[in-house]
Amino acid sequence: MTSKLSSFPHLSTPEFESACTSLLHSFNQHSHLQHDWISAELIHQHESKYLRITRPLPSPSTTAVSEVPEMEEENDDEALQAPFPTAQAVVQYDILLSPTYRVPALYVSIKDTLHRYPPTMDTLYRHIIPPVFQSQTKDVGVLGGITITDHPITNSPEFFVHPCQTAAVMEASAAGRDVTAEEYLLLWIGSLGKCVGLNVPIELVIREKGKG
Amino acid sequence: MGSRDVTGRLRQGVWNGSIPLEIRLHKDDCRTYDESDPYLIQFPRLSYLGLLIHKLHRFYENNLIYPDVSPADAWLEYEGVPLKWHYPLGLLYDLYSGAEPYYPSNGTANQEGSGADDEGQNSIPWKLTVHFSDYPVEHLVKLDSEGRHLHDLFIHSVKEADYLRTGTGKTVMFLSQADSTQLWESVKSHDFTLFNPINQKLLNPQGANLRHLPVKLYLPHAASPGMEKETTPGSLRVVQSLITPALSSRHPQTIGTALNHIIPSLFPSRRSPLLAQAVLHGAVLPLSASVEDLVRATAYLDGWLHIGIVMMA
Repeated sequence: MTSKLSSFPHLSTPEFESACTSLLHSFNQHSHLQHDWISAELIHQHESKYLRITRPLPSPSTTAVSEVPEMEEENDDEALQAPFPTAQAVVQYDILLSPTYRVPALYVSIKDTLHRYPPTMDTLYRHIIPPVFQSQTKDVGVLGGITITDHPITNSPEFFVHPCQTAAVMEASAAGRDVTAEEYLLLWIGSLGKCVGLNVPIELVIREKGKG
Repeated sequence: MGSRDVTGRLRQGVWNGSIPLEIRLHKDDCRTYDESDPYLIQFPRLSYLGLLIHKLHRFYENNLIYPDVSPADAWLEYEGVPLKWHYPLGLLYDLYSGAEPYYPSNGTANQEGSGADDEGQNSIPWKLTVHFSDYPVEHLVKLDSEGRHLHDLFIHSVKEADYLRTGTGKTVMFLSQADSTQLWESVKSHDFTLFNPINQKLLNPQGANLRHLPVKLYLPHAASPGMEKETTPGSLRVVQSLITPALSSRHPQTIGTALNHIIPSLFPSRRSPLLAQAVLHGAVLPLSASVEDLVRATAYLDGWLHIGIVMMA
């Protein structure tokens, strides 16, 4: 699947799904080389597919947790984590194709067995947005470029990176090159993910580049 | 000219639609248990309950166990279902009140004499409960007392509708700051003379036909066989798809053709409802209605047709 995109900077549903599948494949092969992402999976619900990536919540000064626990090969084993008061909270990134803008849209939540991180603007700026991006995300729109809205599948509030500027950002990022669907998704995470702490682990990127 | 009159009259009728509300303070927040007065208001179907939080806070100030709570701690509930702030009242009522929708064909529903329909009788006034504690933060976006969240949710919805209509979202971006402020003011004060000029600009992008039509479908759990257990009371599935104003031929897109395309399992026929009905502003939509006509005459304030899908008995 190295064909050009049919309507760059937009993605069709098959292009989006193929990009997710290929990133997932790459993760499954190389996840042992990196420690940033805990898991990546393709979720299939109601005839649509979306990509879910989780990583440990970086331990900030404000939480009671004293150190970052060693991440072991645990997947979504909540039963094991629950009894311990220092249970590691996990940031969950859901990447869906926006039915309106035809670009990927990013929904972010913190999964925590102790419910310490409700979806509020306070949590957003304290735990999700890295300090270097705070001023630039705050200056957009009524509340900022990242706000809280209902996740289209779960219908519960989550942080949301508004996709209305994504097409323009992708055009700038691609800088005239033809990109494949997989490259598009990597570029997209690179351009829009970092303001909410989502980066492609370098091990996956190197592998992708080596391949092409 | 005739059809223009109809559009105008329909627009006015939809704008004037309202529902009487009887809102009571939840006993856990009330210092006299359940002896506070109800807050009564006739509220526009198109408007947002979030605009009421200051009035409710002021009304119940003397009844509150903790009078220093913020108006932004308020949330509304109907029979255990926390009511979403960004859903207009009419949508919430159509989804949750249990009132029978109005059928244009027989014109009897929602009126006395339609027989065993007790639920419909009890749905007016709509009896809601206001809470000022235990905010269901996992289910509802938390508001702020300046109304910025409500404004933000509204504007993003307007932008998305505009993007669908124009394919570029340029109309909203080209709205002047004054127009944009006027739009939100018109929502807050429910003032048609403020709202209409801006709405007309949005509905008639310069020299262009509408590309897609902003339609969202709200499916209850009963109508979503693929859905696992109901985790949240009143939770539903919101479905959205690209809908063009016309089918490839010279036929306009109708509610029937759109629903048949988006959720064929519930609308196997384009002409007659067999399993489910589409409800907008309390009325069952005829499947033959043109989606573009409906968008122009009956959209909610954010430009969307928010359509409830109701299973037939």
